[in-house]
Amino acid sequence: MIPTRRDFLRTSAMTGSLVSWGWTVPLFLNRTAMAAPTAARKGAKDTILVVVELNGGNDGLNTVIPFADQEYEKLRPTLKVTKSEVKKLNDQVGLHPSMGSFAGLLQDHSLCVVQGVGYPNPSQSHFRSMDIWQAGSTDETLTEGWIGRGLKAIPNASAFHLAENNNSAPLALAGAPVRAPSIISLDQFQLQTTAASGSDRRQQRDFMEGVAVPTLSQPRLLDFVKRTAVETYQSSKRLQEIGKNYQPKVPYPNSPLANKLKLAAQLIDADLGARIFYVSFGGFDTHANQAASHGNLLGTISDAMSSFYKDMAARGHKERILMMTFSEFGRRAKENGSRGTDHGSAAPIFLVGGKVKPGVVGNHPSLTRLEMGNLQHHTDFRQVYAAILEQWLGINSKQVLGGGFKPLEILKA
Amino acid sequence: MSDTIDPRWAWERYRHSKGSPWDLRKVGHLYRRAGFGATWPELQAGLKDGPDQTIERLLRPSAHDGSLEELSRQMAQSIGNANNGLEARAWWLYRMLYTHDPLREKMALFWHNHFATSNAKVNSARFMLGQYELLHKHALGNFASLLQEISHDPAMMVWLDTTLSKKGMPNENYARELMELFSLGIGNYTETDIREAARAFTGWELRGGNVSYQPSQHDGGEKTILGQKGKWTGEDIVRICLEQPSTPYFITGKLFRFLISETLSAPPQLLEPLAVRFQKSGYDIAQLVETILRSNLFFSEKAYRTRVKAPVDFALGIVRGLEGRIGTAALAQSLEQLGQNLFYPPSVKGWDGGAAWLNGQTLLFRQNLALALTSTEDNRFGRRTDPAELARKYQLQGSETVVEFFLKLLVDGEVSGEARNRLVEYVMDSEKQSFPIYWTPADGADHRVRSVCHLVLSLPEFQLS
Repeated sequence: MIPTRRDFLRTSAMTGSLVSWGWTVPLFLNRTAMAAPTAARKGAKDTILVVVELNGGNDGLNTVIPFADQEYEKLRPTLKVTKSEVKKLNDQVGLHPSMGSFAGLLQDHSLCVVQGVGYPNPSQSHFRSMDIWQAGSTDETLTEGWIGRGLKAIPNASAFHLAENNNSAPLALAGAPVRAPSIISLDQFQLQTTAASGSDRRQQRDFMEGVAVPTLSQPRLLDFVKRTAVETYQSSKRLQEIGKNYQPKVPYPNSPLANKLKLAAQLIDADLGARIFYVSFGGFDTHANQAASHGNLLGTISDAMSSFYKDMAARGHKERILMMTFSEFGRRAKENGSRGTDHGSAAPIFLVGGKVKPGVVGNHPSLTRLEMGNLQHHTDFRQVYAAILEQWLGINSKQVLGGGFKPLEILKA
Repeated sequence: MSDTIDPRWAWERYRHSKGSPWDLRKVGHLYRRAGFGATWPELQAGLKDGPDQTIERLLRPSAHDGSLEELSRQMAQSIGNANNGLEARAWWLYRMLYTHDPLREKMALFWHNHFATSNAKVNSARFMLGQYELLHKHALGNFASLLQEISHDPAMMVWLDTTLSKKGMPNENYARELMELFSLGIGNYTETDIREAARAFTGWELRGGNVSYQPSQHDGGEKTILGQKGKWTGEDIVRICLEQPSTPYFITGKLFRFLISETLSAPPQLLEPLAVRFQKSGYDIAQLVETILRSNLFFSEKAYRTRVKAPVDFALGIVRGLEGRIGTAALAQSLEQLGQNLFYPPSVKGWDGGAAWLNGQTLLFRQNLALALTSTEDNRFGRRTDPAELARKYQLQGSETVVEFFLKLLVDGEVSGEARNRLVEYVMDSEKQSFPIYWTPADGADHRVRSVCHLVLSLPEFQLS
């Protein structure tokens, strides 16, 4: 959409009234449409990060498969994928056969696979381990996310959580100076009124916005509701102004994940200064009869992520995009008696983008040196975060991760 | 919190005093926490009857004819036969809305969140309704029995894969969540405890829709769990978990968050009197709930509006307050958007609750649902939650009376003077507005009542319980 002078005036007028309330607003509202970044600009200033959470604990061993290792078949008597079926990454490991789209991205030098990622003393609780990954910390109490903390350093960037029903805002984004809105769709991100006339409508909206303005020394929870309301009403107004009919340059598959990524593409295309997107995709807790369902899940992420990436590339954003997958843990090396797998630890991470170091980073964890039956990690996930923070978002990773994590070589200089 | 709460004071019975009078906010608070919100007559009766009698009525509702239960049973049967999981949601909402025993229904919801099982995997409305029946039966009963029976509940067995767990190759899913989420809480067991416990739960299957024990698939060997060695079965594991000191604290802590506050911390010394009594009583839930509901802390400032309303509380609070008689199918759908899809919790941990209920999207869905329920433009809910009808029923005359009524009914009359003034201003201005030419003056007046009601529902205070 080409911003018009009217858009600009409308935005600045609204921002003005918010400033007079002395309150923070979603930062994309503060940007004038004129100052929107362009794909031509170099450096980390307009890079985009899309984080894809694989919820439930993805079975890494059947995602990046060590087909050349004889031990693999012994650990997976019924779930094994054979050498001839895998999409080979090198002469040791290959992708699950349903991940053809990712194999295509590798050919395009846009896929990086980091093997053996985890953290010390891994928790096998879904919830504890997911919190650790999202917080980027193993502290006992975790209240802020690694992205939320990172956002404090880049006050001009805005973040979105692309949600679906039953999703709450992720811990990863908590702690940001301004709360990232959760959005299901632009159509639904609207405040409705029933009014007798235009001025009635305006008065109703004025009322709703007015009572949401936070006041001094009010109870914590009421303050939280008001903040959420102020931020939401303003975001919703702004988002109603962007183009409704987004036409992707490449077809997207029909999956909830693909729909969310398409919404991300739409928001990127609208030049709102959106830099961070967080999506989650569930179903990976495959304790039983996992072969078919796990294959479908992997196919879904591989197809959806590559469609989004190709769409962005076709719009000239190839070098601005970095996508990262993660899951709270991998699964037990040996399959269980129900043709499934129980909770494990180390697993691979995927990175997709125009600037990733293509190929495989790190060896596959040993299949014989297990810890309580689980694969051992050799790369701390915070080394991946450190690389993204430092080299992609231009943030000092020590401020976010507390230091001690050497950025992993996953991005091209 | 810097100021620590004296546990003795906290759990003593609340008595009204000059400093803490029995008033509308306390009655409203009680009905929000122990039920799904109050109607105007319930608020008035509560004010008149005082705390003891009002709480008594919630704890031990007087006998009523069984027509709702009979209808409900028939509906459940047909929903089960048709395996219609989506209709099961509406069925439960229907019960919540029209029940004579709201506290029991509310506690069933608490246990649904505690033993969070999703039909997304179970894929059997009959099993889900069967689990509901179990939760409802023990909702104010005995937690030890509930924990034993849930271990062999068909929906749970499918949900956490007990049905597929066999001797020699146990599946750890149930054993882990039993310890982490259902009894001990994280940090109170080891990975070895889980693996050993998983062996004990082997041998249970579902055959022809029924639970069946296959001795040949059960691992009868010796296991060491939480320091106890023996040839344990699944029942032994549950018993051992119930004997642990952490279990009563974990459960009372969760109930504290549900009934008292999401923002107040509950350190062990505050929970101690409850937890000790809970374990000593053999896990009597009713006694625990009664102690909490009658307590000083429950009726204190520390508890008031310190929870974010769950979507169910938000939506049913509106319908009950407006004395609506509506079908619940559309409401169940709306609740899915608001983030609380009954029988389909997002994970085995249930709904996080608190601040997690409210994000940009869900807040807009809430405001838009409040509008749909109170306006005439949305026909999903019919017009049977019409604020204008209510205004006629209680013969409300004049703008300020209307404003005051809805503020009292929906937010205990507890809002800032500024919000109150803005509402009155809106009504005054609205009286001068031009209306569509086909409206009669009465239509205009009704529109004003509906708008006022909707605006009251849009107050940030209404989001809190």
